[in-house]
Amino acid sequence: MKSISKVTEKHFDRQGSEFSYIYWFWGIAVPLLLTLIDWPFRQILTPSNILLVYLLGVFFVAIRFGLWPSILGALVSAAAFAFFFAPPIFSFAIADPENLVGLAVMLLVGAVTSNLAENVRTQTRVAEHREQRAAALYRLSKELAEARLETEIIEIGVRHIHSEFGGRNTFLFPDCNGLVCYPDEPPLGISLRGADLSIARRVFSNGQMAGYGTDTAPDETAVYISLNGSTGTIGVLVLEPVDVCRISVPEQRQLLDTFVNLIVHALERAKLAEQAKDATLKMQAETLRNSLLSSISHDLRTPLATIVGAASTLETDEERLTKDSRRKLVGAISEEAQRMSELTTKILEMARLEAGEVLLNRQWYAPEEIVGSALRRLDKKLKNRQVNVHMADNLALIHVDAVLLQQVMVNLLDNADKYSTAGLPIDISVVTTPFSLSITVADRGQGIPEDLQQKIFDKFFRIHTESAQSGVGLGLSICRAIVEAHGGDIQVSNRSGGGSMFQLHIPILECPPTIDPEEKD
Amino acid sequence: MKTTAPLLLLIEDDPQFRLLLRTTLESQDYRVLTAAAGRDGLIEARNQRPNLLILDLGLPDIDGQEVIRRLRTWSEVPIIVLSARDQESDITQALDNGADDYLTKPFGTAELMSRIKALLRRVAKLPGGAQEYFQVGELKIELTKRRVFVGEREVHLTPIEFRLLSVLVRNAGFVVTHRQLLEKVWGASYVEHSHYLRIYMGQLRHKIESDPAQPRYLLTEAGVGYRLSTEEIQ
Repeated sequence: MKSISKVTEKHFDRQGSEFSYIYWFWGIAVPLLLTLIDWPFRQILTPSNILLVYLLGVFFVAIRFGLWPSILGALVSAAAFAFFFAPPIFSFAIADPENLVGLAVMLLVGAVTSNLAENVRTQTRVAEHREQRAAALYRLSKELAEARLETEIIEIGVRHIHSEFGGRNTFLFPDCNGLVCYPDEPPLGISLRGADLSIARRVFSNGQMAGYGTDTAPDETAVYISLNGSTGTIGVLVLEPVDVCRISVPEQRQLLDTFVNLIVHALERAKLAEQAKDATLKMQAETLRNSLLSSISHDLRTPLATIVGAASTLETDEERLTKDSRRKLVGAISEEAQRMSELTTKILEMARLEAGEVLLNRQWYAPEEIVGSALRRLDKKLKNRQVNVHMADNLALIHVDAVLLQQVMVNLLDNADKYSTAGLPIDISVVTTPFSLSITVADRGQGIPEDLQQKIFDKFFRIHTESAQSGVGLGLSICRAIVEAHGGDIQVSNRSGGGSMFQLHIPILECPPTIDPEEKD
Repeated sequence: MKTTAPLLLLIEDDPQFRLLLRTTLESQDYRVLTAAAGRDGLIEARNQRPNLLILDLGLPDIDGQEVIRRLRTWSEVPIIVLSARDQESDITQALDNGADDYLTKPFGTAELMSRIKALLRRVAKLPGGAQEYFQVGELKIELTKRRVFVGEREVHLTPIEFRLLSVLVRNAGFVVTHRQLLEKVWGASYVEHSHYLRIYMGQLRHKIESDPAQPRYLLTEAGVGYRLSTEEIQ
């Protein structure tokens, strides 16, 4: 990258006057030097031979220093030849007409060769620049091809334009209202800051270049170039060149246009990829919604059918029913309503977690309190079960949302109860280290087939669909959502000796607070 | 219907639910007044002076929390809050505003009846002066002598542990919010330091409960507060 900008600099600087003086100097110095060399041999060499030596000098100047220094060299050579070598010596007069012709030929040959040499040099230079531009484009396109995100592409663009054209630059894009605005991301070191938004907006709407060197807002130090994509202008490039030559020369202008086009295409490609991803996500959400609907309609309608049926029987046939069947119907209503209520709670809870609304209300809690309150909520269900709680002896507090974590425990215990034969024990163990809290809930049920161990945390996934046992298939997804909101993870494995074991880890990020010791009275 | 039966005021906007509660409560020999909105409820409360108030938090005109606050400016009537939103913060706020107990919808009517009875009993007991003695299951507490027994064994508590326990004893059977406990035991400047409460509650449980992870007496109401049980859990 560096070498390119150096060469580019040379190219522009050569047109400056500073270097030309040295070239002119060589135009004079070379013939004088040759005069000095030739002088001792003036007796041996004929004037035509000396002319050939001068011609060699003119060639050299022409090739190294260009047309005009070589013409100067030819003139100086002519003068030196006339003065020092052509008789009469020490006079500019030339007596021999042969020498005059020779001199004229030398001037002519000098002019022609230097012209040719200059042409070759220019072409070489042009070819070199073309190659450098091609290399720059290649590097840009290679980096762009690897970039996936819009921000990456913009960063690459800013960097390459900076190194190729010199000067700070920035890309401005419209916000959701379609108005060009400053980017949200923090700028790079080489980003241009403080671009004029009103000019950028005008450029964005009419697609015309503006700013320095144009008819619109020529007082600006920066140039505003619209980024024209396939579907219209997508943004504005604002470039503040250190040297205006670098972008005003046609080749450079073309190069800049190519740069901009490459960047625009990369941006459009990234946008399309994003849209494709959105579409896939939307489709997944749609599938999820459908499975939610089918799941809800089954799980809510079944108990609802019982409730509506039983209630209408009670309403219409009250006299004909025996006391016993009336009691059974009422019992069914109450049981099914209870089931519906649980399902609704779970669905709402999941919706709340899904919507990302849940802000953890983290407070310091003792782990045993969370386990204890979960067990109490289930004490009716777990009445006939042995629940072994193994709690590490330390009382370190943990910074969690106790209500949500209690929900996790309730769901896990509820599952353990639901899927293992009544009377088999449930084991809970709680271990805290300085860095994490681990809770394990293990049952002696059938365990979970290994290929399903990941799937059971998915929404609406049930191992036995539509069995009376299972719920709506949300309990474990709720658990996972809550644990992940705490920055932790939850897994299931099969237990040696049968049954499944759910294990959750929650990282401890803060040290527990200390309290002032109590004064004895 | 006896005129001496306790008068309950029910503020609930859903007509079906109002009908259900009214029917159930009247079948238990309570006199029931109903109001469908917060303002009407407040007027009824002022005119009729009910013995107990059942208040739904989601009301069409004014927020249930506001009803509690206004009521508490002039009345000590016991309030049971009904909440369909299972947001613990709502419940905690209602209790901190001065409600005495809460139930989340849906709930069984038996649960409501036992809460009403407990609250009316507490009101009836209050004029009798400071409670002196408390017992549930194995746990015996002599408030004036500051002594605590589990079965035959005397338990030695630090002054703060005892203060914490006595606040719960005075509200036995009812939930006391974290904020109320912190304020009453440590003072108003400690209401944000909930870890004090957790640590002392842990210590207290380890001294009183046989299994602190499955407490029988000092019960946790997750996200809301603590409740000292008045009936022994099997």
